[in-house]
Amino acid sequence: MASILETAASVGVFNTLLAAVDAAGLRGALEGPGPFTVFAPVDDAFAALPPGTVQTLVDNPPQLARILKFHVVSGALSREQLVAQEAWESLEGAPIPIRRSEPFEVKNATVVTADVVCDNGVVHVIDRVILPG
Amino acid sequence: MTSTPVQERVKAPLIPPSTHRYADVIHRLEAGGSMLPDTPENLQQIIGIYKAYAVPMDFYWRDLLYIAERVFLNPLPAFKYFISKEYLDRPNSYSGDQSKLRIWRGTEKAHPELLEFMERGETSRMPKLLHHLWHDRVNMEFAEACMQAMLWHQGMGGRFNDYLESDAYKAYADRAIKAYFKGNPLMLGLYALFPEMFLEQVRQLSYYANLGLFWEVMAPVFFEMSDIYDEGGFKGVPDAMDFLVNGIFAVAGRPIYHHLYIGDECYEIIPKSEGFTWLYEAALPYVEAVFYRTSPFRGTKSYNAQAHQVPADQADFHYGILYADVYPVGSAGIPPTLLMQDMLHFLPPYLKDLYKQHRRGEEDELVQLGITFQRSMYNVTSAVIQALRCALLYPLDDTDPEHLKANRQFFEAQMDRFLRPEARLPDIQTQDYR
Repeated sequence: MASILETAASVGVFNTLLAAVDAAGLRGALEGPGPFTVFAPVDDAFAALPPGTVQTLVDNPPQLARILKFHVVSGALSREQLVAQEAWESLEGAPIPIRRSEPFEVKNATVVTADVVCDNGVVHVIDRVILPG
Repeated sequence: MTSTPVQERVKAPLIPPSTHRYADVIHRLEAGGSMLPDTPENLQQIIGIYKAYAVPMDFYWRDLLYIAERVFLNPLPAFKYFISKEYLDRPNSYSGDQSKLRIWRGTEKAHPELLEFMERGETSRMPKLLHHLWHDRVNMEFAEACMQAMLWHQGMGGRFNDYLESDAYKAYADRAIKAYFKGNPLMLGLYALFPEMFLEQVRQLSYYANLGLFWEVMAPVFFEMSDIYDEGGFKGVPDAMDFLVNGIFAVAGRPIYHHLYIGDECYEIIPKSEGFTWLYEAALPYVEAVFYRTSPFRGTKSYNAQAHQVPADQADFHYGILYADVYPVGSAGIPPTLLMQDMLHFLPPYLKDLYKQHRRGEEDELVQLGITFQRSMYNVTSAVIQALRCALLYPLDDTDPEHLKANRQFFEAQMDRFLRPEARLPDIQTQDYR
């Protein structure tokens, strides 16, 4: 089985996310044993942000890392486990609310593909970048 | 002859209309508009005042950073408003050729109109000290009042305030204080006796840095909006609001930090690596503290706290520009008047002409421009509300009724803050309020 980052790279729709992980210096952490639950926004989700948003973050790795950590929860959690609780604490520290189970919605993003099981965790593909607050 | 029924072309709304007292405003927000109605005069007023605000703001941010980074704990800071040439020439991160993200097409150094005013003031060319003593200068006291509102209210979201209480911050501040007073046994002795007092002063200086970094962004945003308007670029108030929304996103990730410089040496007090951002640690707390809350201004009105005229809960304070009765505020020495006085010097000609046509003409220009400023800040607040909706909720054209309901709930909760009688939201719906 492949790791979270290897799985993401093989699909081809997470190019921005992977570039952001590198820019934020989080590759090492995400290649670790974890396990992690990653809510992975597709490229279109980053492209939907107003111009300049991603660039400012990429230029400032600690700030970018903070936003990316909001997409990660400690532990390997399946959709079934996630919907059993109202919110989960992200690695950033702020809670990620689970808003609906059907369709499966995490904060203001919809999960387009759930439960992609990897070596060091689970990936849930989302259609929007989620932000703390 | 019978007429053929006209086919219904308008789609039925996905959720029923709001029944909130400000339902009209909520429906306008849901249609991508602003709390401020979309009229050509409103557009003219808000852009004109943004320009007039941006010029003194270009001084405010520079001097706030100068005080946070250079004046620091000077026990007699009599010259803290005498900004150094270095800070006057400090390249703005969002204008000029050197900027990575260029918001304003203009210069990176202090605005030419600001430099001209600093030279001549309202009086004439004379030494800087005389301008200062005659109070013929930019009113930095206004900027400090905003900073103090942020310091005093605290806990308005973001992690900045919590960090100021952390051991890491205390250690950084301790190092900075000892370095700053190196070779000064008197001040080091006082620090040993009253460490908390010094620490609290450093916390306040961290808010100077915070606000300086916040306004460093807003000045070029407002300058650019003025230039776009002069070219005929904005079609209406929503365009102006959208420009602000995009600006908020573009710089949301800007680091908020506090550095002290002693000579060429930099002492980090809040390192950039803490991950603090412009949106969460500066912009949102600023809007909450300054637009909504602040505190009652001395000399304007007496408040009886026992009669509950001052809220027991700081979160219920409502002395910001969105609630201000601009007329009695127009007295000397109080923060909003200081700002109005600053903006008066840089009004574009079209606003001067507009004020001459209404009320008492030039006689009550300060009040008229204060109300214009109020309109413009309702538009900025609208941009913040739309940006938050965009970041935390759903697109306006979403087709899921549940999502639209969530947006509706958010907008209604925001409008609830204007249900109190002091709110000026109903007033700005008409052009008669001047």
